[in-house]
Amino acid sequence: MSRLGKQPGERIARDTTVTFTFDGKQVQAHEGDTIASALYAAGQRTFSRSFKYHRRRGLMCVAGQCPNCICAVDGAPGARACTEPAREGITVTHVNATPSLEFDAMRATDIFGGPFTPPGFYYKTFIKPRRLWPLYEKILRNAAGLGKLRKSQPEREWRTEYRRRHADVLVTGGGIAGLNAALAAAQLGADVVLADEGAEPGGQRLIGGEVHEIAALVERVRGAGVEIIDHGSALGYFDGMVPVWQRDTLHQVRAAQHVFATGAIEQPLVFAGNDLPGVMLAGGARRLVSLYAVSPGRRAVVATTSDRGLDAAVALRAAGVQIVAIADLRPDAGDAARALRADGVPVFAGHTVIEARGSKHVDHAVIGAAGIGSGGDEHEFECDLIVVSGGATPASSLLLQAGAESAYDPARGHFALAALPDGLHAAGEVAGAETDETVAWSGELAGLQAAHALGRATDESTARVTELEGLLAQPNAVAIAVAPPVSGEGRGKCFACLCEDVTSKDVHLSIEEGYDSIELSKRYTTVTMGPCQGRMCQLPSVRLMAQETGQSLQQVGTTTARPPWVSVPMGILGGRPVEPAKRSAIHDRHRELGATVKWAGDWRRAYDYGDPEGEALAVNRAAGLIDVSTLGKLIVRGPDAGAFLDRLYPNRFANLKPGRIRYGVISSDAGRIVDDGTICRIDDETFYVTTTSSGAGAVEEWFSWWLADWGDDVQLTDVTQGLSAVNLAGPKAREIMGAVTDLDCSNEAFAYMDGKQARIAGVDCLILRIGFVGEVGYEIHFPSAYGEHVWDALMDAGKPHGLRPFGLEPQRILRLQKMHILVGQDTDSESTPFAAAMPWIVKLDKEDDFIGKWALEHYAQQTPTTALVGFTLPNGHVPTEGAVVVDAAGTPAGQVTSARHSPVLDRTIGMAWVPEALAHDGAKITISDEGVTLVADIQTRPFYDPDGEVLRS
Amino acid sequence: MNLDFLIPAADDGALAHSPMEPPARKAGARFEVRDGWNVAVEFPSRSAAEDAVTWADVSHLPKVELQGASAAIDAAAGVELPFGTAVRQGDAWWCRLTGTRALIVGARPALESADGVNTLDVTSNFAALTVMGPLARETFARFCALDLRPHVTPVNALRPGSIGRQPGILIREDEDRYLFLFGWATGEYMWSVVHDAATHLGGGPVGTDALAKVAVGA
Repeated sequence: MSRLGKQPGERIARDTTVTFTFDGKQVQAHEGDTIASALYAAGQRTFSRSFKYHRRRGLMCVAGQCPNCICAVDGAPGARACTEPAREGITVTHVNATPSLEFDAMRATDIFGGPFTPPGFYYKTFIKPRRLWPLYEKILRNAAGLGKLRKSQPEREWRTEYRRRHADVLVTGGGIAGLNAALAAAQLGADVVLADEGAEPGGQRLIGGEVHEIAALVERVRGAGVEIIDHGSALGYFDGMVPVWQRDTLHQVRAAQHVFATGAIEQPLVFAGNDLPGVMLAGGARRLVSLYAVSPGRRAVVATTSDRGLDAAVALRAAGVQIVAIADLRPDAGDAARALRADGVPVFAGHTVIEARGSKHVDHAVIGAAGIGSGGDEHEFECDLIVVSGGATPASSLLLQAGAESAYDPARGHFALAALPDGLHAAGEVAGAETDETVAWSGELAGLQAAHALGRATDESTARVTELEGLLAQPNAVAIAVAPPVSGEGRGKCFACLCEDVTSKDVHLSIEEGYDSIELSKRYTTVTMGPCQGRMCQLPSVRLMAQETGQSLQQVGTTTARPPWVSVPMGILGGRPVEPAKRSAIHDRHRELGATVKWAGDWRRAYDYGDPEGEALAVNRAAGLIDVSTLGKLIVRGPDAGAFLDRLYPNRFANLKPGRIRYGVISSDAGRIVDDGTICRIDDETFYVTTTSSGAGAVEEWFSWWLADWGDDVQLTDVTQGLSAVNLAGPKAREIMGAVTDLDCSNEAFAYMDGKQARIAGVDCLILRIGFVGEVGYEIHFPSAYGEHVWDALMDAGKPHGLRPFGLEPQRILRLQKMHILVGQDTDSESTPFAAAMPWIVKLDKEDDFIGKWALEHYAQQTPTTALVGFTLPNGHVPTEGAVVVDAAGTPAGQVTSARHSPVLDRTIGMAWVPEALAHDGAKITISDEGVTLVADIQTRPFYDPDGEVLRS
Repeated sequence: MNLDFLIPAADDGALAHSPMEPPARKAGARFEVRDGWNVAVEFPSRSAAEDAVTWADVSHLPKVELQGASAAIDAAAGVELPFGTAVRQGDAWWCRLTGTRALIVGARPALESADGVNTLDVTSNFAALTVMGPLARETFARFCALDLRPHVTPVNALRPGSIGRQPGILIREDEDRYLFLFGWATGEYMWSVVHDAATHLGGGPVGTDALAKVAVGA
């Protein structure tokens, strides 16, 4: 056990016990422990196997930054043991090792396969023979990866939430800078949200043991009204919206001002064996001690480029860890080093670590003077811990995503923020503050500036801003040395990227092969593309690239910052599985009648009731009832309504008499068909316009657009959802109507294309006598609140007459029998009314201009090259919609748009675009349908009731 | 001919039904006929839900669209109808939608004397829910990106926008009470959205009889 005595700022409750299992073994923890701290305390040192080489990996950052402790919790992969709380009863398992974490057969890749597994090896080694690629792919996918998804769907599902939160200020980062920023902004009255990825705010200060000070500050922040989202990782920046992932909830925070206090990320050093368990970042080692009272080792060698390492050495010594040597890259490490020397700790100035030795774990460290290769001024120490600190790089990814710019700072050896766009503020270490005081000041300043940008400045706050700007103008930087790109190369693998197992040699190879920019190298080697998202590997890979190419680091630059900044389960991004669906007011009745319900645009529609041909036949022989509530319905009303429609349609409506109906086709500016429907004139100033179901939204938008432009005295109201509509059609339709209404439905009193108003079963309805399905038909429109009532009344009245409900599919058969087109099915974006056999709809002699007139005048003078016609097939084969019409040479010359078997005609009927020369009765066309060649007869008039006698009877 | 066929007013015992009646029935609602509508007046008691969030189907509320010049609409309303604010007049909310259109929710006004204004009954264009309780705003946050913070959306505020991925209109009736209007055909869908979000927060449906307990801030 490595559990230490009580530490000043420890976050564990020692009087509690939590038990969980790791790879089947029971592990004891305390509340407040993470999985990793408990395992480490129990002696576990190997936490995972690496992505490609399956090398042992141990704890490194203890902050959720690196990939080394990725595991599966209760079967869900992707958890980071170092931040995942230890909870009672959870099952933790390792990932990416077979058969076990201790013995992983795929380690052979590292031992024997090195020369055969350079970057992109799967494209090189496994490219031939090509036919074996599916096998290779299976093996490779099985070998690589960071765990396996749970197999059954129920196991993969868990509830995730979206929560939208608007705020005046979002502070990202809950360290001292973030807390001070939030407090300052909130005290000026701003509505502030603070997102912190830790279990509790405080950041770096928590590991310094300042628990009570932090708690007091957090209390003040909460007291000022700030909403603190703990465990909240900001995933990216999207035009002012920052998604913050907190457990099972994704907070979409939209803020007017953003303060990023995201801190800095401690960097590893690149040296031989730098991935061996026992090599740990200084911050990681300190977190283990301070937060969880766990000793990271017994004998430690510290390698550092700044005071971070020395501070860690002091803290570790206080916790009982023997510091056997310190390699400080700086020529003069200053007072801290002198103090340690005075205490008997050997401090090697100008030195760094060049090799970690050991098989399963670090057992020796080799340090040497900066710049040396092998041999020379080297010192080897027996140890079980190598604490490294290669400086820190600003955690600026979110800022860069938001449009900030960075530039290389040669003195600090990292890319620092250079410019911020409006509305963005940076505070703390990400903004370059390095001391405790400047971190706090910069936070307060950013908070005040954010509040001021919202118009919340006071005299006092303005003065404070000036004061803080003065304070922060003083130099605050602490001395650091810039880490070398790599040390000890040639002694073993030196990893630049732990996530993807990319070594310094791999970066070298990528450049040799021509991938000589950091973006290309990234894509070739996959460096920065792993779970750490570049936190640990961006700077090392840029340094290596600069060294190899001779460019400066500024010239090399960085890879583009992209979301997500934190690896996140896809389910979190998916949110709740709700899908908008429109249902007619008669929907439940269709279900009760056994309808097959399918999507039709954004509606759920009755496709058929189990017998589409029988349903169609019933309409032709008796009567049928279909729910057409999905039709678009618009009220166009006002003194200019007729003129308005005349400008939108190629035919005339201003001269339509009240109570009459006219068919209309809407054409685009280019004279192409975009929608169709009927228009009934209600009174002098009111028209009732119907559109196709799928075109309803677009037509409403189209009308609104032109109305806004023309400024006609017209009001447009979309009543699509407000009105249900059913179509009663068939030879018995008139009799059925007679049973449900007092209206005289004789042909003389209620003729084809008449519109009437009458009560049906007590409900006021608009009844349109139209005939899309080719029989005497009444399209009945009424308030949706009575949907089932009117449907039931009609069904009851129709029962003695053989009335059957019919769905969308039989409707398609029926309309095809009449060659009534379906816009979008029989037409496409190039179809004109002339080519679609509807030249009669275009009234070029209209006095005034109308949409598409110029183009239609042009088309009127041309003979279309193709035409829409009907066809029949004698042998019963129903060609696929989309089947190709070919000419004598076998070249595609057209296509089938619709085809069905007509039960009333007992033959195959269809419509197709064919060459104009063939668009006449008696012509034959050849259809190539998935390898079958068919010869069809052209028919230009409707297949059923060609003269419309039935329809008008 | 006229546009009376838009008005849900029937005889011969025809009952008007909300599109949310099926899910409400499934949730145990007791229905009563009120003014020709089959209304969910009561649900099995959920006292705990009242401390979180509750919702009631009020699709039966009359809704009328006014059409005319801006000044004519104001004259019909008797007050100036500003954008973004719903004005309470008697039992109804008067809401300006555009320069030439307004929506009245809750009553059918007698406007014969109002020159230059046309009316259109849109009652069954919009289904409606009253969502209320301390977690009402949190509930909307689960499926809507409108900024409903009190200082941005004060009592009486009118907010049209995308709600539950559909066009909707929201009126903040009181501190913790919102009237939510949406397309009739999306009724069942929207019930499922609100149900999903609200029950997760401890809420539940209530009948319209529960609404009387809450005063509407006017």
